[in-house]
Amino acid sequence: MSLRTSAAVITGCGVVSPFGLGVATLWEALLAGRSAIAPIVGFPAGDLVPNAAAEIHGVVVDDPDRAGALALLAAREALAAAELDPHAVDPARFGVVLGTTCGGMRIFEAWDAAAAAGTPPPADVARVPYFAPAVRLARALGCRGPVATTQLACASGTAAIALAAGWVLSGRADVVLAGGTDILSRFLVAGFNCLRATAERARPFDRDRRGLVLGEGAALLVIEDAAHAARRGADVRAAVLGAGAAADAVHMTAPDREGGGAARAIEAALAAAAVIPAAVDFVSAHGTGTPYNDAMEAVALGRVFGAAGPAVHSIKGAVGHTLGAAGALEAVVCVQALATGLIPPTVGLVNPDPACAVLDLVRGEPRRRRVDVALSTSSGFAGANAAIVLGAP
Amino acid sequence: MSLGVVITGASTATRPDGLPAPVRSRAARAERLAQLALAAGAGALAAAGLACFDGPPRPDLGVVLGTAFGCFLTNAAYQRRLALTGPAGASPRLFAATVSNAAAGELAIACRLGGPAITLSAGAASGLVAVGQATELLDAGAATAIVAGGMDAVGEPLEAWARDGGFDAGRPLAEAAAAVVLEPAARAVGRGAPIVGAVRGAASGFEPDWEAAEAGAGLAAAVRAALAQAGVDAGELALVVSAAPPPLARLEQHALAAAGGGLPRRSLAPKVACGETLGAAGVLGVLAALGALAPRECGLVLDVCPSGHVAACVVAGPEAAA
Repeated sequence: MSLRTSAAVITGCGVVSPFGLGVATLWEALLAGRSAIAPIVGFPAGDLVPNAAAEIHGVVVDDPDRAGALALLAAREALAAAELDPHAVDPARFGVVLGTTCGGMRIFEAWDAAAAAGTPPPADVARVPYFAPAVRLARALGCRGPVATTQLACASGTAAIALAAGWVLSGRADVVLAGGTDILSRFLVAGFNCLRATAERARPFDRDRRGLVLGEGAALLVIEDAAHAARRGADVRAAVLGAGAAADAVHMTAPDREGGGAARAIEAALAAAAVIPAAVDFVSAHGTGTPYNDAMEAVALGRVFGAAGPAVHSIKGAVGHTLGAAGALEAVVCVQALATGLIPPTVGLVNPDPACAVLDLVRGEPRRRRVDVALSTSSGFAGANAAIVLGAP
Repeated sequence: MSLGVVITGASTATRPDGLPAPVRSRAARAERLAQLALAAGAGALAAAGLACFDGPPRPDLGVVLGTAFGCFLTNAAYQRRLALTGPAGASPRLFAATVSNAAAGELAIACRLGGPAITLSAGAASGLVAVGQATELLDAGAATAIVAGGMDAVGEPLEAWARDGGFDAGRPLAEAAAAVVLEPAARAVGRGAPIVGAVRGAASGFEPDWEAAEAGAGLAAAVRAALAQAGVDAGELALVVSAAPPPLARLEQHALAAAGGGLPRRSLAPKVACGETLGAAGVLGVLAALGALAPRECGLVLDVCPSGHVAACVVAGPEAAA
């Protein structure tokens, strides 16, 4: 089922990715087909197998609340890009919604160690909860409107944008800063490793893919009521045309091999957008590089689009799987594709899996084509699925 | 304009032996937060006449859950084992249950919910924010019925972290879960469902600084928005369910006055008896209001968290649903 979000527009984007600060930095690296995946150096990882990840270096070095700090940096860029002074927004109609999977986990690790040793807790212990990065952002901006954290595992970032658009459409907010933030930790890497879900290299949709590679990052988008944006003469980058969400209701960690939940979420988003499948030009897929996810996604996209579907790309060979941030980063990629008519290649994809043959996968070089409608899909543990449809302004 | 959303089923967490066998089976293997959600959610669906435990997922039924701290207890168990044994001893079973949406996923699988499955955190206001989000999804046509609930699992690791400066609720933490089934009124009437009340308006907000001169403005804005959506004047409210921790009680009163004055003389404060039930608190507040309202009365339910998250919800007795 679907959510109509026709009056919500995107007026600014901000990113901190493993390539560094800024949307332009990310976009340049994606178009060049670079990968930020390398051995982990940010925390002790010698006993983690595999120990590859896409880390952010040199951006946040002295803030224990890494997830919150990354979100703040991305928010500043998004607001600057939107030419929006947060103090000029009615605080009661200014909201924040942020997706995260394990935001404060490094502080949690430090607290656990301190508690076990009987030593004093870390100074930032109050920033452990998953809602803490959104609170930090909302306090920094002086928001008095709705503030929430979406918790849909790896679909959290996409769900955050959907919620923000809904708040704008329902008239509850004029402006919502929406996106996701997640950071790497031993907790996380050891966890995905013990599930045997990881690999040294991410190869989305490749026949030789072995698993995902984790990453970290933050991405924020200024989601604004179209009339509010027009009144202040803002440059509209894209419109959130529709959003959808659906549960697999099949398995807690494995995706529905028939792609049921993902297909329902996509169909709901398209219905909400009043967009027919043939009108979609580009899909930013979840594309983790795990055998099951990519096969599931091919089935789901095939169900929706048939054999002559849109161009499909995954970001995760370049920046890894950034979990709660992934959907937000991918939304930014969609905004860039809408603006430039360029679709980046899927890094790591060399030999497309015959099981994914239904997909028109972009690989090797960027593809130039007009993009009027883009779809971003996300799926996660516990059978969570979310999709958003973005359109050119 | 009132939302036109009615409540057709409600439940708090129940004893495991009171659960249907398929739910009990999943609950036995699930982590604590999911157990709470399964108990309350399945109970609410059964009360609404929408229980179903087999067949394909039902795409028109969704779930929206609120939780302050998610799987904190499971995170702690997984992390302790990881710290003691290293990655070789990391538990895949525990790690898979560390995502906060595991509870919604378990409920979706057990009760065949194939529509939207959303988990939100807004501190101790999570439950009421979840109710508001569910009404928004229904209003947008995203589902024909949604289980909206809240829950938090409380145990020693969470209490120890809170004592270490993590979170001061102003009251003892308490474990609970509660859920309601929400449906558009026309749909509920059409299928002859029992109507136990209505959600006529809901809104959430934020208080960036409880010490500031403007403190209470976020809550006042949320109350005004909820009342406006409900088409109800503050003077028409029969009661208020208060939620603020003791240090913030005065600000809550101030915000209510700023939102419209004419405060009702009746008020309930379930947290005084129950403790701070975090994600469950707002939904328990809704149930408390429904228990105290006459069939044609409306009440205002509040949720207030020291984190800054606040929410307001206008509920009505079954004969004031329109």
